[in-house]
Amino acid sequence: MIRKKTGVFLLLICLLSAGVEAQRVTSMRINEVLVINEDNFVDDYGKRGSWVELYNTSAGSVDIRGCFLTNDRNNPKKYPIPKGDVLTKIRPRQHVIFWIDEQPSRGTFHVNFKFDPDRENYIALYDADGKTLVDEVTIPCANGKEVSYGRTVDGHAEWGFLEKVTPSTNNLTLDTNDKIDNFRVNDSLGVGMTLTAMAVVFCGLILLYLIFKFVGKLSVTLSIRRAQKTDGSTVGQDVASGEILAAIGTALFELDEDVHDIENTVLTIQKVKRNYSPWNSKIYGLREIPGK
Amino acid sequence: MQESFFSFLGENLQTFLTYTGVYSATPGHLFMILVGLFFIFLAIRFEFEPMLLIPIGFGILIGNIPFKDAGLQVGIYEEGSVLNILYQGVTSGWYPPLIFLGIGAMTDFSALISNPKLMLIGAAAQFGIFGAYTIALQMGFEPNQAGAIGIIGGADGPTAIFLSSKLAPNLMGAIAVSAYSYMALVPIIQPPFMRLLTTKKERVIRMKPPRVVSSTEKIIFPIIGLLLTCFLVPSGLPLLGMLFFGNLLKESGVTRRLAETARGPLIDTITILLGVTVGASTQATQFLTLSSIKIFGLGALSFVIATCAGILFVKFFNLFLREGNKINPLIGNSGVSAVPDSARISQTVGLEYDPTNYLLMHAMGPNVAGVIGSAVAAGILLGFLG
Repeated sequence: MIRKKTGVFLLLICLLSAGVEAQRVTSMRINEVLVINEDNFVDDYGKRGSWVELYNTSAGSVDIRGCFLTNDRNNPKKYPIPKGDVLTKIRPRQHVIFWIDEQPSRGTFHVNFKFDPDRENYIALYDADGKTLVDEVTIPCANGKEVSYGRTVDGHAEWGFLEKVTPSTNNLTLDTNDKIDNFRVNDSLGVGMTLTAMAVVFCGLILLYLIFKFVGKLSVTLSIRRAQKTDGSTVGQDVASGEILAAIGTALFELDEDVHDIENTVLTIQKVKRNYSPWNSKIYGLREIPGK
Repeated sequence: MQESFFSFLGENLQTFLTYTGVYSATPGHLFMILVGLFFIFLAIRFEFEPMLLIPIGFGILIGNIPFKDAGLQVGIYEEGSVLNILYQGVTSGWYPPLIFLGIGAMTDFSALISNPKLMLIGAAAQFGIFGAYTIALQMGFEPNQAGAIGIIGGADGPTAIFLSSKLAPNLMGAIAVSAYSYMALVPIIQPPFMRLLTTKKERVIRMKPPRVVSSTEKIIFPIIGLLLTCFLVPSGLPLLGMLFFGNLLKESGVTRRLAETARGPLIDTITILLGVTVGASTQATQFLTLSSIKIFGLGALSFVIATCAGILFVKFFNLFLREGNKINPLIGNSGVSAVPDSARISQTVGLEYDPTNYLLMHAMGPNVAGVIGSAVAAGILLGFLG
């Protein structure tokens, strides 16, 4: 029994862990890379160099400490992202830049390898175990042009040379809310929204109605069968209704107590006079003497 | 020396005067204080939703004590102030799901399970939300703002706060106060329309007594309810998830302590914090705008539309039901959530026309269906406009 319980518990833990995974390093993506940087973003030292931008696609913060960046397929653990830096915790849907300048002594965000501007480059992000590949990309040779290679929309699958270099910000600038604009243009009267939403509300509650109509019927059938099994009687739904049971109960009570008058088929309530009642007894009004 | 001392005292007194509420008071503050006092009066004198109106009314007084904006971290809109910290539960939207947990733990869905067709009334009454949405659009509100305003018609304070905090945070104060005020005024708003839209014959329709519901049915209701509604509208998860979770705590029979905490101390605590902070968020400088007045008008309208939609739907539904299975249209008003006030109104108005016709049990069905319906509607609005 204990083993069974432990098994169920472990299974639950596994299922929960699978859910947690979505908020972990696997949610990180390589989002944009600039190999040739001569007139663009500068680092804290005022230097220009290649950089790679990582993006957290999830709705929760992700800490990338202990993970690895590499430009060598045979050496996944080339640059371990240092632990103990609070800045390695990336907020939801936010970006972080790593400088590919072979200057790891300059801080957490400066890696120990460089890109070669004259040929195709490769970069990958590995999980803290050094085996699980989180994301990788091969950057085509830019032929001397200062253009970044990135996902056309943050976190999406499609890659290409971007029109603008966008370090630490969205690759596609989001300055409008498409959903609202769409409603503003196509449903200015609100009729579409009303019809759609009312249809969904009705669908949900109709489904619930149908299910519970079925469940109700099943429950009534089962209770009748159970009653028949117990005493062989044929108790039906109508007979078992609350009102009838209450009436039967009242009648039996009155019969037992003999408070019904002699008129048949008429249910009356007679006042019963009693001289003594526990409520007016002095005995119950006194405190009990504590037991010895 | 003496002269300079007195002038020093005088200057200090003058400076102090600028810090007093009297110095900073505006007609707007005084007006809002009167509104707060009116709410408290309604709650104590007429017992209109005292659990809501007392905290909100007093919150309005707290929020409208004028003060000089000198970074003293006093006001609800000053980051880091005590009131601001408490207000985070409203702005981040985590008070409403906790309230729903408590509502779930105190709601008996038996009436609904025994007569599931009453769920459809709860669906029909949600028309109040979308009717108000349509009108709000015509009045010049943006679609997201119109959605947040429309939800007032769901007659569900926590849902209104939750949705407005996501869709239109700048209108949240007005929407929350409007939703709670009209919920308190349900006994005044609904009866005239109930009488207007029903005939004498309809008002005395007797409905079949609800059957006894087994505990198994009560247990599977929150589970199926959650799976079905949230698979359909996942954005309703925070509210519906907590509502059905609370109900399972109640009905499972093995988590009595948790259910009691959820429907007792927890919901009481959150109600106090929610009421006071929503009330305090009505600071005159932020609250008294033309938009707020429009929102109040639209809120009343949405309640009326929801009430009428529920009643008319029952009348329409009755056309397809056999004699003996018909529904009394006086329970149509309870399709708006406002649990349990709108159900009580069905009972009161029903008793006026037939003193032996008790509608309360029947009205509770659409009433709790209205809670589910308004949470689903909120999820749809959030999904479309969020």
